[in-house]
Amino acid sequence: MKLYAALLLVLLPCLAAIPEVDKNKAVGSPTAPVRLEVFSDFTCPHCRHFHEEVLPQLMKDYVVNGKMYIVDRAFPLQGHSFTREAFSYSVAAARIGKYQQVADALYAQQANWAVNGNPWGVVAGVLSPADQKKVLELSKDAGVQAEIEAEFREGVDSGVNQTPTLILTAGGKRFPLPPAPDYRLLKSMIDGLLPK
Amino acid sequence: MASSRSKALDWTVLALRLIVGGVFAYAGYLKLREPWALFAMGIDSYHLIPFRFVEPLARTLPAGEVVIGLWLMTGFWPRMPSTLISLLLVVFFAAMVHAKIAGQQIDCGCFGPGDPISKWTLLRDGSLLAASLLVTWRAFRHSPKKS
Repeated sequence: MKLYAALLLVLLPCLAAIPEVDKNKAVGSPTAPVRLEVFSDFTCPHCRHFHEEVLPQLMKDYVVNGKMYIVDRAFPLQGHSFTREAFSYSVAAARIGKYQQVADALYAQQANWAVNGNPWGVVAGVLSPADQKKVLELSKDAGVQAEIEAEFREGVDSGVNQTPTLILTAGGKRFPLPPAPDYRLLKSMIDGLLPK
Repeated sequence: MASSRSKALDWTVLALRLIVGGVFAYAGYLKLREPWALFAMGIDSYHLIPFRFVEPLARTLPAGEVVIGLWLMTGFWPRMPSTLISLLLVVFFAAMVHAKIAGQQIDCGCFGPGDPISKWTLLRDGSLLAASLLVTWRAFRHSPKKS
């Protein structure tokens, strides 16, 4: 019994270090040995680059073979107009299993909606009329807003001050990475964290 | 009077030598505890070094910091480690100032990740550089030449 209590005491900080995950905003196996949290903002050009260029490589090299679990985290930058609205739609879309389509569209047409202030026009374009209605309703839900705020707070508590910020977790240890790391170095880092 | 002043300076330099060497060795040790690629990303984020040099530097610099930091602390032939540390600190400090002026929001990388470049980090590294230069100057003025 004492052994179990001691073990629990040792493992508790590791468990506490891995925050809650919205499974609809994640890809891969939750039991993968490496987890990557991506704190991003839909209006940020570097986040778009990560989403469109780096994420597909990570999917191919690590997610499809069960080595990595990637979790998207909302980190709406202060002073960026319309980003909260875009996050409301994306989190609402996650509730009906349409997160990836909406996130892809928001990044692909970032230059348009971030200027004309109409993220809904982009989101609606990739949803059926029935799904549009659900997402519009859910986007006003207090739970959706609370999730965005909780992820933002979690980012701040983890030292995130810009986007995209990547945090790797392996073996209960979290590694916040410098901004926009070169893919070759990111790969070396991940390979080093994977069990041999 | 002159002798007691000189003695006070000797003690001050001894304390600074231990502090500079200790801080340097500790900084290297902290980096050695983390994966080398993490430090490599930190170096690369400055965008000052060609990519082909980033990995060799990330793999060797932390161990080098530990060795020359401990070497300076021992006081054995202090000219070499104090000069090396001063040169490295000049490079680090210049890189940090460059990043700050360029508006880069990056980590200093001095003691591993999670230490964004700020006025505080510049003051800290600037003070360390000043201390290191004093130790180097003293080493050349007072320690015996290598035979």
